[in-house]
Amino acid sequence: MLDVFTLFLFNIIVYNIPLLYGTTGEIMIEKSGSLNLGVEGTMAIGAVVGYLAGAKTDSLLVAVLVSFIASGLVGLLFAFLTVTLQANQNVTGLTITTFGVAFYYFIGNALSNSAGGWPALNGTKLDAQSQALHIPLLSDIPFAGKAIFSHGILVYLGIIIAVLMWFYFKKTVPGLKLRAIGENPGAADSLGVNVAMYKYTHIIIGSGIMGIGGLYMGLNMGGTFEGSNCWINGYGWISIALVIFANWSPAKALLGTLVFGFFNTLRVQNAALAYAFPNALGWLLKIPSHFFSALPFIITLIVLIISSLSSKGRSGEPQAIGRNYYREDR
Amino acid sequence: MRKYHLVRRADSQLRRTLIFYAAGILISLAIGAVILACLGINPFEYYGRMFTIGLVGNRYGYKSIEGLLKIFVPLLITSLALSLSFKMRFWNIGGEGEFLIGAICASCIAFNSTGMPNFVTIVLMCLAAMISSGIIGIAIAALKVRFNTNETLMTLMINYIMLYVIRYIGDTKAPWNFFLREDSERPIFGSFPESAVMGGIPLGKFTLLWSVLIAIILTVIVYIYLKYTKHGYEISVVGDSSATAKYAGMSVGKIVLRTMFISSALIGLAAALTVSSAGTISDTITNDVGWTGIIVAWLSKLSVPAVFVTSILIAVLQYGCQAAATQYPAIDVNYADLLQGIILFSILVADFAANFKIVRKEDANNA
Amino acid sequence: MEYAIELKGITKSFGPVAANKNINLALAKGEILALLGENGSGKTTLMNMLSGIYMPDSGSIFIDGKKVQINSPEDSGKLGIGMVHQHFKLVERFTALENIRIGIRGEGRFMHGADVRKKIEDTAAKFGFDIDLDKTVSNMAVSEKQTLEILKVLCYGAKIIILDEPTAVLTVQEIDRLFAVLRKMREDGHSIIIITHKLNEVMAISDRVAVLRHGEYIDTVVTKETDEKALTELMVGRKIELSIERPVMEKTHPLLEIRDLTVKNDEGAIAVDHINFYIRGGELLGVAGIAGSGQKELCEAIAGLRPIEEGQMIHEGESIVGMSPKKILDHGISMSFIPEDRLGMGLAPSLSITDNMILKNYNETKGIFVDRKSARAEAKKVIERLEINTPSTETPVRRLSGGNVQKVLLGREIKSGPNVLITAYPVRGLDINSSYTIYDILNDQKKKGVGILFVGEDLDVMLALCDKIMVICHGKLQGVVNSDHTTKEEIGLMMTGTLNIINKEGKTDGIAKDSAFTDEEGSLT
Repeated sequence: MLDVFTLFLFNIIVYNIPLLYGTTGEIMIEKSGSLNLGVEGTMAIGAVVGYLAGAKTDSLLVAVLVSFIASGLVGLLFAFLTVTLQANQNVTGLTITTFGVAFYYFIGNALSNSAGGWPALNGTKLDAQSQALHIPLLSDIPFAGKAIFSHGILVYLGIIIAVLMWFYFKKTVPGLKLRAIGENPGAADSLGVNVAMYKYTHIIIGSGIMGIGGLYMGLNMGGTFEGSNCWINGYGWISIALVIFANWSPAKALLGTLVFGFFNTLRVQNAALAYAFPNALGWLLKIPSHFFSALPFIITLIVLIISSLSSKGRSGEPQAIGRNYYREDR
Repeated sequence: MRKYHLVRRADSQLRRTLIFYAAGILISLAIGAVILACLGINPFEYYGRMFTIGLVGNRYGYKSIEGLLKIFVPLLITSLALSLSFKMRFWNIGGEGEFLIGAICASCIAFNSTGMPNFVTIVLMCLAAMISSGIIGIAIAALKVRFNTNETLMTLMINYIMLYVIRYIGDTKAPWNFFLREDSERPIFGSFPESAVMGGIPLGKFTLLWSVLIAIILTVIVYIYLKYTKHGYEISVVGDSSATAKYAGMSVGKIVLRTMFISSALIGLAAALTVSSAGTISDTITNDVGWTGIIVAWLSKLSVPAVFVTSILIAVLQYGCQAAATQYPAIDVNYADLLQGIILFSILVADFAANFKIVRKEDANNA
Repeated sequence: MEYAIELKGITKSFGPVAANKNINLALAKGEILALLGENGSGKTTLMNMLSGIYMPDSGSIFIDGKKVQINSPEDSGKLGIGMVHQHFKLVERFTALENIRIGIRGEGRFMHGADVRKKIEDTAAKFGFDIDLDKTVSNMAVSEKQTLEILKVLCYGAKIIILDEPTAVLTVQEIDRLFAVLRKMREDGHSIIIITHKLNEVMAISDRVAVLRHGEYIDTVVTKETDEKALTELMVGRKIELSIERPVMEKTHPLLEIRDLTVKNDEGAIAVDHINFYIRGGELLGVAGIAGSGQKELCEAIAGLRPIEEGQMIHEGESIVGMSPKKILDHGISMSFIPEDRLGMGLAPSLSITDNMILKNYNETKGIFVDRKSARAEAKKVIERLEINTPSTETPVRRLSGGNVQKVLLGREIKSGPNVLITAYPVRGLDINSSYTIYDILNDQKKKGVGILFVGEDLDVMLALCDKIMVICHGKLQGVVNSDHTTKEEIGLMMTGTLNIINKEGKTDGIAKDSAFTDEEGSLT
């Protein structure tokens, strides 16, 4: 009995940590006043480049670093176009998504068709390094040990990033300056805050964080490339919606990921739940699997509507979001 | 000490803009050529093949034109539709989802149309698609108007939900499911009966489908609608400043609802024409027009004539990649998407170059 | 004299427009220098080059005798220059403390507050500021925000302080307090530049006056050795009469009567609180009040753009409460409101003059098409009549200069032949000549028997132009005064709520003797 719950909780975390990466990355970018709709593409590029680098060197550390750098470069492109060149943020973001996903398939197909083929994950050191850690004592706690303290290192990295980011926004002066830019770039600029530098830095770091999330998804899917299904599979988009759900707070993003993950995890866990509780939850089996696949998007839709009903829910939204800043505009 | 700084140009010249755009496209193609060269492919040969869309040295050249038009028609109509909503600053990026719901509803009619006259069936298919897509559009617009719900993300979620709806239909063998072939064990989408397949004007071996004519007529209508009618005027005012529109006594909500209905209904129409031309439905029926349409609309700066031209160019790019793929198996159709992305990035840079100039600061030592 | 700042040969252009032409200016150490000039004479542009917002096209800047380059606000801050901008540069969602903290250098990377807070409190105490550091800016009154802005630059250790039109949003009493602070700052060794176009303030506060005109430097004079008349001549360039025409008209019955009107603002707070007033034909009624006292909500309520909570609005004997904006317009009430950004309401900036002409009546023609032919003819007429400077009727409004934009707006409002014209801030940001054109347009309408409600900012102008002035404070009516029998000081006291003359001397202001209302309940005849 308990095993089902343990596994459920375990899976909530395992399957939804990419959302946490995507959401915290996007929060960082949005706090600087930029709306980046290119999360899906940024994650896809980070995933494929990071994975290939990791497979080549057989090292998780390299994989993480490379995915961070690759996605960071995508962020650099976004920052260059929107901050320096004043391009429309919506269009730039959407193009990054189109470009990123196409890049993913293009590289994947080219490699799959080449002589060497797509590098497999199974049995490599990379695979081993990304597997669950055994933390002495903690992992042995009944129930919670398996559910919470037996994850791969990237799960904990994601949580640490969220906590650090929360601290950064709340307690540090650069965090304060960043938030000021998102609220009123003109005011921050007049106080000598280098708006462009801050925007560039945070867009790049935020994008890099998304990239690690993409890599995580790839590893979690066993590293197999399919010509028809992208690893990211819409998680980038859900991340953008989760930002609203989390009211632009990295701490709430952690909570949001878990709440959201609950529904998302039903997709993989519904059968197990139904068998464990045939009387109470047997009906879960009758629901087509496509419904569970669509569920995250349906939930997002509902969350969007509900959060728009209350104006209070958006108090964390940066006031200058989506608008480019050009100092000499009068 | 900085000697140069950027200044926004006071005027905008069409000629300058066009020159920068052309330069941007050339640079993109050059970048694409480098990618090809890296994969060991002669870029000139590849581009040669791509831009002639397989017409050269092909006995069945007319097939290429037909194939190109099948990509062009839905892309053109969808881009026009999206331009309508973008002009109003309504970020409808749910083209994919709106297309799919239209395609599903049109197919409902099509699969059950055996024995009906061809013209009646197709009209019914179009109506069903337009109404169903339009309702989705109007629902999202209503939420936006009433509660200011984020339309960008809403329309996006519709894309994914509809994708799973059509996959569900395509994967589920059941007595009710008339979409699938009855003679197959595996779930496969069936073909429409004769009554639901789009006809056309035969020109020798080549058949000019009615949908092409409809798309061209629609372009003219949308052009007139935006430029000369009161509705079009209202759309530009709302898009420019909704406070002003409200002040002028326009009911902004009504205009947003109406325009989003028309915009989504047009996408539905594109879907109906597409399934009818294809004679079947599938979960890849959209061919990503919902996404590509956004790029087309933006590349065209929401101008209707430019949308027409850009749609042709992008269709050539996409179909050209398909055509070239037969000879270069290593390069699949995603190359077109990749190139599209690079082109748009370049155009964004070109746009900047056309609107800003770099000014050299006079040295102030003489003072 | 030892100079804190010297500007030599500064030139700055925006496209074809030269905002500053070869300007030389010097600020002595420990003085208050008034920078005087009309709107559009280039004062703010010049100062923005000191604050690092703009960079000069040519010319050089010396601080304490050393040549410097100011490429960004950061450079400016490091040189000890602090600017209080006219539109405050504050983060509304942050507290006062957080706003100040953003710009404090060298106090570590963490926001542990105690010593930072102590320093700020010390500075505040030194200059006698009374400020709650934990108050969120969005909850502050305008004068509090300004205090915060000044405290900010003092905390950053600025020795040279520039204030851009600091008095525009303040009441007479608040201005006195501000000037006291400025004098204290001067005693403390700060050098101050204050931008203004109000002569009485120049005389009151400054040691010297530098005058700009049309982007050119004219002269610097010692305040004690000059007078308002001489300064005006320097500023305007020719002797002009500082008088605005006020034709006296035969007044008709009340055209528009407002009784007990209560309106809420966007945040749901009461913005207009049980206001009574009326406008007769041929009368120009001014509305005075501190910015944000309910002017916008009042205008919007009358135009039907904002639902009312309570009260009656009678136009020529008929209630207009609950009517659509379109119907109110058809009734003959026309409203034009110039917001702070000038383009936000009333005009579609990217559309042509022609398209903006028909904004309110495009729907009156038959058929589905917009009648652009007659629209173009109307646009031509308005352009000629109001002497609008534009390349063609098809030029987007965005490309016109401020004065011309406002003429387009007023031209359209007058074109429909209203009998009640509501106009808010019609001369906002205009130079004197353009302002006079606007006053003439309004007076022409008045002569035609139109009743005009004029929401204004400059009390001198209102006293000259308006027949009567109603004063509001926090949405409450403080009284209606006759322009000939009042003073600026009296209006100032009413604006702050210190003085309320309603029901004084036995009469109730804002209610006409020959009202269309018959009894106290406000029902109609």
